[in-house]
Amino acid sequence: MDIKLLKTEAEKDLTLSKDLKDLDDIFRKYLGKKGSIAEIFNSLAEMSKKDRIKAGKEANELKSFLIDKINQKRLDLAETIKGKEQWIDISLPAKGPKTGHLHPLTLIKRKVSEIFESMGFSYIEGPEIENEFYNFDALNIPKDHPARDAWDTFYLDKGLLLRTHTSPVQVRFMEKNNPPLRIFVPGRVFRHEATDASHEVNFYQIEGLMVGKDVSTANFKAVIKEFFSRFFGKKIEIRLRPSFFPFVEPGFEVDISCVVCKGKGCSVCSKTGWVEIMGAGMVHPNVLKASGINPKFWQGFAFGIGIDRLAMMKYKINDIRLFYSSDLRFLEQF
Amino acid sequence: MLFSYNWLKDYTKLPKPAKLVELLVMHSFEVEEVLKISGDYLFEVDVLSNRAPDCFSHIGLAREIAAVSSKRFKAPKFNLKEKNKLKIEDFININVSDKNDCLRYSGRVLLNVKVGPSPKWVQKRLKICGLRPINNIVDIVNYVMLETGQPLHAFDFDKISGPKSGPKKIIVRRAEKGEKIISLDDEKYGLNENILVISDLEGPLAIAGIKGGKKAEIDKKTKNIVLEAANFNYQVVRRASRILKLKTDASWRFENRISPNLTESSINRAAYLIKSIAKGDVSWGIIDSYPKKALPVKVKFATDYLERLLGIEVPVRDIKDILSRLEFEVIDERAIGDNNSSIQLTVKVPDFRLDISIPEDLIEEIGRIYGYYKIQPVFPVSSLIPAKKNIDVFWEQMIKDILKESGFSEVYNYSFTGEEAKKFGYNKEEIIRILNPISDEHNYLRPSLIVNLLKNVSLNFRYFNEVKIFELGKIFKKTNSGLIEKKMICSLIASKEDNNDLFYQIKGVLDQFLNKLGISDIYYDEHQPTPDDSKISVWDIKRCAEVKSGSEELGFLGAVSSSILDSMKIKGSVFLFDIDFEKLLNLCSEEHEFRPISQYPAAVRDLSVLIPLKVKVEEVLNNIETAGGALIRDVDIFDIYEGEGIKEGKKSLAFHIVFQAEDRTLKSQEIDQILNRIIKSLQENPQWEVRK
Repeated sequence: MDIKLLKTEAEKDLTLSKDLKDLDDIFRKYLGKKGSIAEIFNSLAEMSKKDRIKAGKEANELKSFLIDKINQKRLDLAETIKGKEQWIDISLPAKGPKTGHLHPLTLIKRKVSEIFESMGFSYIEGPEIENEFYNFDALNIPKDHPARDAWDTFYLDKGLLLRTHTSPVQVRFMEKNNPPLRIFVPGRVFRHEATDASHEVNFYQIEGLMVGKDVSTANFKAVIKEFFSRFFGKKIEIRLRPSFFPFVEPGFEVDISCVVCKGKGCSVCSKTGWVEIMGAGMVHPNVLKASGINPKFWQGFAFGIGIDRLAMMKYKINDIRLFYSSDLRFLEQF
Repeated sequence: MLFSYNWLKDYTKLPKPAKLVELLVMHSFEVEEVLKISGDYLFEVDVLSNRAPDCFSHIGLAREIAAVSSKRFKAPKFNLKEKNKLKIEDFININVSDKNDCLRYSGRVLLNVKVGPSPKWVQKRLKICGLRPINNIVDIVNYVMLETGQPLHAFDFDKISGPKSGPKKIIVRRAEKGEKIISLDDEKYGLNENILVISDLEGPLAIAGIKGGKKAEIDKKTKNIVLEAANFNYQVVRRASRILKLKTDASWRFENRISPNLTESSINRAAYLIKSIAKGDVSWGIIDSYPKKALPVKVKFATDYLERLLGIEVPVRDIKDILSRLEFEVIDERAIGDNNSSIQLTVKVPDFRLDISIPEDLIEEIGRIYGYYKIQPVFPVSSLIPAKKNIDVFWEQMIKDILKESGFSEVYNYSFTGEEAKKFGYNKEEIIRILNPISDEHNYLRPSLIVNLLKNVSLNFRYFNEVKIFELGKIFKKTNSGLIEKKMICSLIASKEDNNDLFYQIKGVLDQFLNKLGISDIYYDEHQPTPDDSKISVWDIKRCAEVKSGSEELGFLGAVSSSILDSMKIKGSVFLFDIDFEKLLNLCSEEHEFRPISQYPAAVRDLSVLIPLKVKVEEVLNNIETAGGALIRDVDIFDIYEGEGIKEGKKSLAFHIVFQAEDRTLKSQEIDQILNRIIKSLQENPQWEVRK
């Protein structure tokens, strides 16, 4: 058979083939054991040496040409088939794995912890049931003193109570650890007061404490400014105003520049440009003494931030009670 | 406290109201509100409680403003005319039974006063400060309190019971149990020995430092009066005020303490104003019980400590200027330290400043007047000690993340619970009661996280058909060794349909959760009820398990009983696990070792076993693993079937058993041997039947 004719015929067959079965037939017809090319090879023996070399060469070339063509066609067909079956409506809603949600206060606590830990403050915890000594006496809040009125307290049997602040952990920690020290204490605290949009019977605080040879108010300003700038992700100014907490002297009220209007004055900051955010001060020598630390050699700052308040500012939540409502319509937003 | 701007202006030159607010806020106190009222401004100032002794008064605040704004302060000047014929000793004498209860008692007598309405300017000032005008005598007494900070009281001299002849006796003593008093506002108070009273020979005339009595009330007919300006022990007044649930302008000031030196000038001021407004004659002299005179306080401090504490250098000239503006007197000044680098000042504290006793107090005074805004932020210099990793917190975060990723949302519930805890079987002996609960729903500290979580389910069932939540928080219990608090981790799936599959879902979550914490030696045990086990009423006994490690019980897993669900009005089913976080922590491990992947192929054989319905799968698995030995890589259950085609009361389990060795390719002969061993072992149980 004429090899050229054979090639033309094979090309025509390939062009007309529509599926893999057609391709298999073509393969068998030309390349099978009894196919046309096998026939050519069988007939070689009857040829002259010169013709044999020429025809053998041509047959081999046709063979590899057809193998390539068939393979190529097979890929093309496969592609066409896939394309037909796999059309996707990309606009359909996703069916992702449904994960749960962490509580917003957990998220804020983590953020705060990350910042303080990066500044070398260690994460410390303390008990929620306290006694009068740690919650009041050791913090320079004497019995029968009106200063105690600032902390409305839930009382339990035998002089025990629910801690009204995280400050007792300052004393508990300093009793067991020598300065210099840097800690922060996130935790749940309790106040015996009527609940409303900004008051809850339990809420969260972060206590901070740094004690060293010469830890100063200027140091406090730097640390807390850095904290708020990182927390809100923008440059924050802070200012200190005089305040009174029995466990610090001097005592400060800390304001930050309003994160909404950047200090220009808006409804959030009552047009002052400043938002009151926390109480702080230099640790009172009586607190150091009560914790077994000599105030002649050591000094430092302490502060307390409301975690709920930070979360409310960060997420623009207007009612503290939502945090304790366990309403999934609220929680699933975080 | 409420202040009148015009009144303050009597004592010092004031800046404009807006400027005054700014000065006070930055150097002294917060200003809550400023209101313009009939030609005056009302200032609501949050006087800090340590400054109550001097600043709960117009004179005090004016003095503070003068210091802050560097202006002069002028105390009111007056000239009191006494009648030398009217010797005070002839009218009254004072008997203080305990000088610790009453540090000072000053009295004056005024005769022939004319009671009537007080002049407009007095009334106006009282009204601005929130007091109701009554009559000139009472109004002046109140006016002087607002002016000086010293509470005073006026008695009708003629109503005081006294001896038939000679001076009347005023006694300061503790009340007797069962004594009663009717107050000026006609309330009846029962007294006891914790309450200090002013009494005559017959009975109480006033509750000391809190409120006057009806008996010696000033009325229209009053002619002669006794004025009292005393200094009562702040703790005694505080206790009485709490017992009687009675807070007054007077009790508030005494509780926060005032200087005992204040009685004399205040009583003279009141006498002067009464004489000029209500006429009358002022007795000669004061009757004064002041056994232990308050001595001036001296405080030493060094400028280098000020610098170290505030982190700013304040020039000595400024320090001394600030001190003198605040009426502190520097009585000694000397250079100290190496090279005389620091200056030590000894300062005499003015008697009205009861809040100053240590160097830090003075440093605060200097800092706030100088201006905290002048302190530049400076990062502390410290050794590079890294923050200590808190292992508890690390695992806590990990646990929360695992549960969140498994589809559970975190809730924070109150630490309190109400009477419903009793339905859960908690009794008085183990549950901690709040002595002063805020409401019935908050009577107790929660003994378990479950109670509040079930409340969450019933709330969320209003909006969702399925609820998956968890909480990691503290529970509280009473034990023989005292009150304990411990962290628990509780996670639940609630569905409006009852479906045992949820048990396996929550078990799967727990398995995965323990696995990720590196805990493997956990097993589930059927609950063995014990008589004293109160918690058990929470659980559906047939559908719950104890979660154990070794002999330690870590918690529970299972369905909540239908009686509890009914009582919580939950229609559906709730499956949960409740695990002791602290016990869990002891088992957690960050260690994780890679196990080499065998280079030799694994072979799989299937096996099916017919067993009675109530036999646990775990028993069969254990049997296969024990009989199979070390070459068993894994046993997988891939089918559980009961019903058609299976004998009544039986179920069919089908397993893939995977064989693999670390060091060679297993021959099929070898595998068949092991398989036969397993079959033999399974069939030792007469009710089990193996089908290959």
